[in-house]
Amino acid sequence: MASQEISKSMYTVTSAPLWHCGKTLQKTMLHTLLALLPAAAMAVYRFGYDAVEVMAWAGLAAVITEAAVQKLMDQAPTSDDFSALVDGLLFAFLLPATAPWWMVIVGAALTIILGRMVFGGYGGSPVCAPAVGWAVLSISWPDFMDLNGMLLNWDLVEPLSELKYFGTAAIADIKPVSLLLGENLGALGASQGLMILIGGLYLLGRGQLRWFIPVSFLVGVFLTALLYNLIDPQLYASPVFHLLSGSTLMAAFFLMPYSSSSPVWRVPMLIYGLLGGALMIIIRTYGVYPDGAPFAVLLLNLCTPLIDLIQPKPFGGR
Amino acid sequence: MMKTSLKTSVELKGTLQDAPVPALVRIPIQKNQKPVVKKKQIVGRGQVVAETKCISAFCTGYVHATIDGMVEDILPNAIVVGPLPAPKEGEDPQMPVRPEPCAELDSLSGEDLCRKLLELGIDTNKFHPSRTLIINGLNPEPGVVVSEQLLKDAQKTLEVGVRILERAVKPGTVKIVVAEGKNITLYGCTTVHASDVYPATIDPLVVLTATGVERPDNVDIISVSDLYRVGRVGETKLPLLDAVVGVGESVYRVLTGTPVQDLLNVAGVPYGADWKIALDGPMRGEAICDLTVGIPENCTAITLVPADQFPEVQPNPCINCGECVLACPARVQPGMLSRYAEFTLFEATRSRHVDACMECGMCTFVCPVNRPVMQFLKLAKQHLAAQDEFTASCRLQS
Ligand code: SF4
Ligand code: SF4
Repeated sequence: MASQEISKSMYTVTSAPLWHCGKTLQKTMLHTLLALLPAAAMAVYRFGYDAVEVMAWAGLAAVITEAAVQKLMDQAPTSDDFSALVDGLLFAFLLPATAPWWMVIVGAALTIILGRMVFGGYGGSPVCAPAVGWAVLSISWPDFMDLNGMLLNWDLVEPLSELKYFGTAAIADIKPVSLLLGENLGALGASQGLMILIGGLYLLGRGQLRWFIPVSFLVGVFLTALLYNLIDPQLYASPVFHLLSGSTLMAAFFLMPYSSSSPVWRVPMLIYGLLGGALMIIIRTYGVYPDGAPFAVLLLNLCTPLIDLIQPKPFGGR
Repeated sequence: MMKTSLKTSVELKGTLQDAPVPALVRIPIQKNQKPVVKKKQIVGRGQVVAETKCISAFCTGYVHATIDGMVEDILPNAIVVGPLPAPKEGEDPQMPVRPEPCAELDSLSGEDLCRKLLELGIDTNKFHPSRTLIINGLNPEPGVVVSEQLLKDAQKTLEVGVRILERAVKPGTVKIVVAEGKNITLYGCTTVHASDVYPATIDPLVVLTATGVERPDNVDIISVSDLYRVGRVGETKLPLLDAVVGVGESVYRVLTGTPVQDLLNVAGVPYGADWKIALDGPMRGEAICDLTVGIPENCTAITLVPADQFPEVQPNPCINCGECVLACPARVQPGMLSRYAEFTLFEATRSRHVDACMECGMCTFVCPVNRPVMQFLKLAKQHLAAQDEFTASCRLQS
């Protein structure tokens, strides 16, 4: 009789707290997908079916690679949190729209393997996974990653390489509005400035993204570019050009704040953003690659543990 | 899914009500409270059933029977008092003896008074002579309204409480901290306003607001419920018998040890078999598995959480998103600490200030992968404490 009594009155016990704010990784990733949607749509509008193909291969390869590696590593599958899909898409956004399918697949797989799984999975990685995929491909197949060479079909120019190879005169005609609207050659999604901005602002508005890193990164870009511009306006492009061209906005809203590889304290987040912005301009100015954004992100990622050492004293600590 | 607000201050709807006397009580006892009654013994309301073996005036209080009845069982964590047996034929019914009101309460002062309070059931651990005394008048957690309810409906009792404490511990200053925008005062106290958004309502943060210092050593903080208990004893001059507990939007004065089930029946709140039910608030409360548990004297609320209202806690890996860092009032890195604890690197949590953690639960509350962050931290603290104790005992032996 006693056991009956017990069984009918057992309630679930858990350790406190019993409430949760309701924010889950899955929801964050769904919001991120939604935020990427405008840029993806704009990319399809600009580059047509090629863009669809690249995004599809990248997304698919990322999800499948993750599932496969997790199986190998005896981990529980986590495709349902959509983080692999988001990483795949972010990676696709950095590619030229006409990238060959095999390279997209290899890149997406490397994004997942080198950017995530070797560190134990999403969240363990000290580097921004999509930027890793991009970097490996840029070094391995520079020709296929060259935006100008790959996008010959379109009679447009890529602003950053123009700047790199022909100086400020070559970009004098490029208006900020055309940069925002993505009316120039550029990476598939990253060059759709306005749409990326809208996506980023959406994430900020929904509380899925903190303002610290995006804002400080853009400020860093602006100030550093302004400095160069003031030194010699003939030689160095205006800060606004740098803010809107290449993958600046993409880096600000999606790559720099990549959760596992960015600092967690407030002041370090600001420093990280500022340094990242400055580094990107420096790479653009002196580096061999026209767009330094993903490299700047990766380099700053490596500094994250150091920057994160700037910590406040714990409560009551003396 | 309901939007969870961490605001604790509320517009009070009802007044303090008395819950009916239950037929049976399960009076909780702690490890250091030793039973002084035997099974089948007849006890009167207010009779001591367990004592704390300590000579100082500052200790856990004695435990008293809260109804007239017969001791049915003595468990490690509770003393069960059931109804009086029916008198045998031809015999006079056994009469339980209730204690007399303690008249000395008005004349004693200082440690003697503290000792008396302890014997009457007050936990005097929180009191120290001549410190600043802060009364935390904020509702402790979202959904728990006892503090504001008592300040509204039990001003008289609280005043008695303050007067007794003035004699017992002679505090330097007495301050009461209440929610911003609330016009609440209390006899003998300076009012300080503070944010009412959890976790700003927990003791260390309230002390910070009231004094401007983090963890000062000459300050005592007690809750309104603590003060009410002192006032209640002072008013009745009898042992402490009841707890003030919120259920839903109502607040009840219940006899200590009343089964949770009885109170839920009285309150008439909905709950189901797969809900979670906890003593105290939703952030720090202790979930119970069965409703026969007796309500402890310091319980502030019964929290009911519908099944599936919140995502379940899962042993997921930390994704280093930093949400917990931004939410943590102790300015530690809960995510990082939880990883150390997860891989049993407890020593590493010590140097990273796991001790600063106030166990507010915010880290688990905000974690997007539903990691049991605070649980890991508690585990680490427990291990460190056990280790320290072990080291200390080794030293003593050698
Ligand atoms: S909130 Fe959770 S996932 Fe994020 S850093 Fe803290 S413990 Fe890790
Ligand atoms: S429980 Fe978590 S949030 Fe609260 S103080 Fe401790 S570590 Fe910080």
